[in-house]
Amino acid sequence: MTVENNEPIDNELNSKFKLFSPSRVMAIAMNTFTQLVRMKVFYFLLIFSVLIIGANVLFLNFTFEQELKILQDVSFGAMTLFASIFSIVGTALLIPKDIEDRTLYSILTKPVPRFEYLIGKLLGILFLVAVSLVLMSILFFAVLFFRQHGILAEEINQMRGQPTAEQISSLKENIFAQGLRLELINGVVAVFLKAAVAAAIALVVSTFASSTLFTIIVSLVIYFIGHAQSMALDYYFPEGDMHGAFQRFIAGIVAIIFPNLQIFNVVDGIVSGQSVPMSLMFRLTGLTGFYLFIYSFVSWVLFAKKEL
Amino acid sequence: MSEDLPTAVQIKNLTKTFPVPFKKEKVVAVDNLSLSVMPGEVYGLIGPNGSGKSTTMKVLLGLISATSGSSSVFGMSSTETASRGSVGFLPENPYFYKYLTGAETIAFYGKLCGLKRKVIKERTSELLNLVELEGARDRRLAGYSKGMLQRIGLAQALVGRPKLVVLDEPTAGVDPAGSRKIRDLIMQLKDQGITVILSSHLLEQVQEVCDRVGIIFEGKLVREGSLKTLIEIEDQTEIVLENAGSDLLKKITDLINQENGVNLIRSGRPRTTLETLFLKETGGESKDVRNES
Repeated sequence: MTVENNEPIDNELNSKFKLFSPSRVMAIAMNTFTQLVRMKVFYFLLIFSVLIIGANVLFLNFTFEQELKILQDVSFGAMTLFASIFSIVGTALLIPKDIEDRTLYSILTKPVPRFEYLIGKLLGILFLVAVSLVLMSILFFAVLFFRQHGILAEEINQMRGQPTAEQISSLKENIFAQGLRLELINGVVAVFLKAAVAAAIALVVSTFASSTLFTIIVSLVIYFIGHAQSMALDYYFPEGDMHGAFQRFIAGIVAIIFPNLQIFNVVDGIVSGQSVPMSLMFRLTGLTGFYLFIYSFVSWVLFAKKEL
Repeated sequence: MSEDLPTAVQIKNLTKTFPVPFKKEKVVAVDNLSLSVMPGEVYGLIGPNGSGKSTTMKVLLGLISATSGSSSVFGMSSTETASRGSVGFLPENPYFYKYLTGAETIAFYGKLCGLKRKVIKERTSELLNLVELEGARDRRLAGYSKGMLQRIGLAQALVGRPKLVVLDEPTAGVDPAGSRKIRDLIMQLKDQGITVILSSHLLEQVQEVCDRVGIIFEGKLVREGSLKTLIEIEDQTEIVLENAGSDLLKKITDLINQENGVNLIRSGRPRTTLETLFLKETGGESKDVRNES
C-alpha cells in the first residue's frame, strides 16, 4: 500500500464548506433510495398485481359499475396501504438503524450538517414512495383500461340484436365514465401527499426514539389518530363554540401533533364518480408542505444536539 | 512541524459527563482533559476500556458536545460542521451500508465531502488500489471480511484528502498481515505530513508508529509526552552485538563486574516478535524487521 500525494483537492475543502449543499442532500437521498430498492421492497408489486387481478377475477358476476368500483377501491386501498407502510416503516427502519449500527458516525464526521442528513433521508423515502406509486398506477391504469374495454365488448355481446352506433356510444360513455379517467391521477397524488405526511411523522419520532419498533408503533398511533383528529376536534370544540384563545391554542397544538389525515381521503369520492376541485388539491399540497416543514424543523431541533 | 500552522488538535480542559437515568449523580467520562497535537504528528491515545478515549474523539469530531471545555481542529471549533472538512475518521468496528459495493461506498463518502464527479471517479480507483481492494470494487460490503471492512473504512476516511486522520482501533479484528499493512499506511500518512490520532489497545503498534503518546485513565490524561522520553529507562543502557564470540562476552562481563555500582541485569539472545515470525513464515511483507530483546 502506498499513499499517493495528499495534495488537497481544489485547495482547502473546509474553506469551501457550504452551509447547505443540495448535492450532499441528493447523495444521502439517492443512497436511501438505493438502500430500500436493494432491500427488494419492489417485490410488493407482485402482491399488488395479485390483488388487482384477484379483484378482477373474484367480482366478475357483479354489474360493470360495481366491478369497476371494486377494482378502483382495491387498487387505491392497496396503494394507500403500501405507500403508508413504505413511509413509516422505511423512515423508522433507516434512521434508528444508522444510529444503532453507527453508520451515522461515518456520515456526520464528514462536513455534513445534521439537517442535511434528515432532509436527505426524508427525500429518499419520498422518492421511493413516488416511484412505487407511479409503478402501481401504471399497473392499475393498464388493468382498468383493459377491463373497461373487456366490459364494453361483453355488454355489446349481451345486447339483443344488432346495437346501433348510438347505443354503443352511449354504453361506451357510461362504462368509460367509471373507468380510466384523469380524475384518478388526483387520487394517486392525494395518496402520495398523505404518505409524505406519514413519513414526516416517522422522521420526528425516529429522532428521539430508541428503536425501530418504538418508532413504528408511535408513528402508527399518530397516523391512526390523525384519521380521527377532525372528528375529535369537532366534538370537543364545535365550530360555533371556538371562541376562547385557549381553545384555539389547544386545537392548534392537537392539529400539529396529530395532522388531519382524513382530509387526504379524497379517493372514496373519486371512486364514487365525484370530481375533486383543483382548489382542494392545492390545499392538500399546501397542507402537506406545511407539515413537512414543521416536522422537518422539529426533527432538526431534536436531532441537532442529540448525543451519538 | 511548522511554527506558522495552528495546532492540528487543541483540546482544553475538556470535561464530559453523562446523566445516569433516575439518579442525580452523573458519570464523568472525561475529566478536565487538555492535550494538543501538532501538524504532521502521529499521536497515540491509549488507555483501558471505558477510560474516555472514544468520548474524547467523539467530542473532537462533533458527535457529542462537551459539558465544559473546548476542542478545535486546525483552529476551528469542533462544534462547527466545517471543521470536519479537514478530518477523516475511521470508527472502531466500522459499519457501512452493506448493500453498497466498495466503489459505491467511496463514491458516496466522496460526494459528502463535496468532491466533483470526475474527482470521485479518480479518487475511488486510487483509494481502492491503496487499500488493495481493487479486486473487490464491485462486490457488496455484505460479502467483505472484517479486515476488508476495516480497509474500506480507511479508504473512506481518506477520500476527502484530510489533513487530520482519526483512527479508532484501526486494527481491531484484523490479521497480523493486514495489521502490518495498516501500520505501514499510517507511516506513509506521516511521511505525507498528515496528522494522525491513533487509539489502539495494541500498545506495540502504538509504540511503532507514534511520535507522542497520551495515556488516559478514568477520564484523566495521566501521562503525556514523546514516546522516546516516556519509555526510556534512564538508568539503564542496552548494547546489541552481532557475531560476538563467547570470549568477547566474557571480557565485557568481567569489565562490568570490575566497576562499582554497575550491575549486569540481563544478557542473552534477542528475540524477534511473533508478528515478524508470522509474517516471515506466511510470506507477508514487513518493512520493519525490528528485533526485541
